[in-house]
Amino acid sequence: MKRRWQLGVMAALALSAALLYVLLQAPDYTESEYFEDVARLQHIRQLDAQWELDVMKARLNMLQGYDALVAPLSDLADLPAGLNKFPRNAELALDAQTYLKALDSKVVLVESFKSHNAVFRNSLAYLSAIADDVELHAAGRGLRHADAMRITRGVRETLLETLEYVERAADEDWAEIELHLAALLSAKGSLPPAMRELTENFELHVRIVLREHAEINRLVADITNAPTERRLNQIHAGLSGQLQRASDRGRQQRVALLALSAALSALLLYAAGCLLRSHAIINRVNASLQQANDTLECRVQERTRQLEDAQSQLVAAARDAGKAEIATNVLHNVGNVLNSVGVSAALLQQQVKASRGPGLDLAVALLRDHEGRLGHFLEHDERGRCLPAYLEGLALVLRTEREILAGELQQLHGRVDHVKEIVAAQQAYAGVSCLFEQCLAEDVIEQALGMSAVSLARHGVTVIRDYAALPPLRMDRHRVLQILVNLIGNAWRAMEGMPHRAHRITLRLRAHDAQMLRIEVVDNGVGILPENLERIFSHGFTTRKDGHGFGLHSCILAAREMGGSLSAHSAGAGLGATFTLELPCQQEETHELAAA
Amino acid sequence: MANRCRRRPAVPLLPLMGLIALAVPAMAGDSLRHEPIQPVPAVAPQDPARVALGRRLFGDPRLSGNDLVSCASCHDVKKGGADGRARSPGFNGRLTALNAPTVLNAALNFRQFWNGAAMTLEQQVGMVVENPVEMGARWPDVVRKVAADDAYRHAFGAAYRDGVTRANIENALASYERTLVTPGARFDRYLKGDSGAITSAEKSGYARFKQYGCVSCHQGVNVGGNMFQKFGAVTPPPPAQGAGLGRFLITGNPQDKQVFKVPGLRNVARTAPYFHDGSAATLDQAIDAMFRLQLGRHSSQEDRQLIAAFLVTLNAEPEGQP
Repeated sequence: MKRRWQLGVMAALALSAALLYVLLQAPDYTESEYFEDVARLQHIRQLDAQWELDVMKARLNMLQGYDALVAPLSDLADLPAGLNKFPRNAELALDAQTYLKALDSKVVLVESFKSHNAVFRNSLAYLSAIADDVELHAAGRGLRHADAMRITRGVRETLLETLEYVERAADEDWAEIELHLAALLSAKGSLPPAMRELTENFELHVRIVLREHAEINRLVADITNAPTERRLNQIHAGLSGQLQRASDRGRQQRVALLALSAALSALLLYAAGCLLRSHAIINRVNASLQQANDTLECRVQERTRQLEDAQSQLVAAARDAGKAEIATNVLHNVGNVLNSVGVSAALLQQQVKASRGPGLDLAVALLRDHEGRLGHFLEHDERGRCLPAYLEGLALVLRTEREILAGELQQLHGRVDHVKEIVAAQQAYAGVSCLFEQCLAEDVIEQALGMSAVSLARHGVTVIRDYAALPPLRMDRHRVLQILVNLIGNAWRAMEGMPHRAHRITLRLRAHDAQMLRIEVVDNGVGILPENLERIFSHGFTTRKDGHGFGLHSCILAAREMGGSLSAHSAGAGLGATFTLELPCQQEETHELAAA
Repeated sequence: MANRCRRRPAVPLLPLMGLIALAVPAMAGDSLRHEPIQPVPAVAPQDPARVALGRRLFGDPRLSGNDLVSCASCHDVKKGGADGRARSPGFNGRLTALNAPTVLNAALNFRQFWNGAAMTLEQQVGMVVENPVEMGARWPDVVRKVAADDAYRHAFGAAYRDGVTRANIENALASYERTLVTPGARFDRYLKGDSGAITSAEKSGYARFKQYGCVSCHQGVNVGGNMFQKFGAVTPPPPAQGAGLGRFLITGNPQDKQVFKVPGLRNVARTAPYFHDGSAATLDQAIDAMFRLQLGRHSSQEDRQLIAAFLVTLNAEPEGQP
């Protein structure tokens, strides 16, 4: 296919080139040029004819001055150069050369004619003057009358003959003149010198007249016979031939043009046919392409649906994961509290186990043993004597135990409530709602400390309280409690690894700006490495062997949910840490917190 | 070529007509047609830039081989277009072969040089510059010298498309020479109808000029200059050689021995000496020689005086010459 196209294009180019070549072969001799040339030739012919006419007029003494015989020369000589195709046509150049040669010889003739004509005219005019002079001299020079008469008559007759001859140019007149001249000459000898001179002069001029007359006539005949006209005709014929040839060539060119353009248009038609066919093919291919496209489209949509399903599955999974996280959070927080619950329960159990109640049973058993003789027992038995005091003492201990147990149960109850609240808070996570209640911040801190009290006591941690006096504020109590329990837990755990130091936790409560509350939990435990200061809040990050990494993450989330922030500072490893919780809080009354 | 204009009063108003009536005797005359001598036509318009160039070149001696002579050395416009010498010294002091003809009205001559060797003024310039006696230069050197001059180069560049070339130098000089025609001679005014322009003596001189046949060769617009004639057409002249052989040197035709171009007689009274060899020192001598050689008749003193007086009426200056 490509080969064919290449061939086609080459053929088209070749045809176009040939067409262009033929077109550019402009007709080298158009009709208008021919007519121009012919007009110029005509003009030259006229000039030539006028020139000859002027020569005739000069011959007949009708021309005043010879300027007219000189004027046409430049035009006549310019003819060949003025022709349209002169430089290129060799034949024409040859004709032009012969014409110019003929012109040159004619010019020489005319020049000669002018010279001779002038002399002729002068001498002819002079003859009459001489004749008059002769007559004058003859009259007054003392000649014999007969001689004078003879001379005068001879001169006059010769003059007449000469004039006649000039008019008629008949040979017999010449003979007559010769006779007369001969007669005059023979009579010359007897004349006085002046007369002789005159006569000689006369004869001279007669001879001049005759000579020049013959010369002039010859010249005029030659001039009129000059072949310039013939040469001009030759040039004309040459031009006609050239025109003929040019039109023949033009005809040939037209035929060639026709053939070439037919070929070119055939080629173009063929190309057009090919184009149409390929257009149809393209359309077909386009249609199938469109179809394929549609199929693809359907498949893409199907895939998209599948992907969307997968995505919703993923979302569900994520949701589940989130739930799991929440659950973990709940578990962790609850775990925290349950820790203390467990501890409390354990403590209660211990207390109950270590209770002195069985002592009462012993005393009762003793009394029952000595039922009949109770008084005696009490007064005289050693065990009996101690019994009232023992019972008193026992009653005191049992009271104390009861108090302790009651206190412990109270705390346990509180913790169970907390768990309930945690669960309730987590359940409400869908809307991330905050449950605001009015409370004193120090109470919340104290509650948190209470929940961790056992652990704190077990680890010998001194708690330092630094509370600013603040009015009751609205806050999400349970969230705050969660966070604080977490932070305190972290604080005493941080001191686990540092047995040689006095363990100390400082809890600081301040108001920050006008609307913010700041709670700081400061410990002097293992501290936090600088690169971990941000990371400790991320989900799953822990530096403890038994840690799960959820605590601080859930704290910071909770803080943010309340519109606050949680941050950590540490001077470095082994230099303790400070956790700062900032909360926005509102008061019932609209007055600002006093900056503490 | 001939100025056959008929004088008419231009403005036909009554008071003007009265004035004209007074002037009628002086002005109302038909111009003389059919006279063998015609008045000089007005200058054909030439390109002013080229004329200016030609005027500068005309007086520029760099056109000669040794930078000593210029056209004006032999053809001085102030001296009637010739130099007042029988023969002129060329560039190296050697005398030229023939008398320097006048440059005034040379444009009206049908050929240039005494032997008609040059068909146009341009050709004449071309031949003179390389003539070994007259200017003795070579054209390439002349073109180089002219082109080396900045002022000439700029002027040629402005006036001609191809700058300084031999053809353009020739054309510039010829353009200038074409402005050196001399209309307005007294005799021309007479021909145009002003019969008071010449005196009756001069008129009678003209009549004799015609009558004796001088006018058969000295005719036309330039009173000559349009034909060849043998020097000694009636009475054979003394034998000559070299340039004195005239046209024979061009054509080789023995008939052309001592045939020369008939010189124009305008300003002839200012361009003594006369003839191709400068052999006639005064107009009187020249007229006498012409009578003998060309007419074969004697001339009287009166003839010569009147004819000379007539010839003086042919004097005129070129128009607008500085």
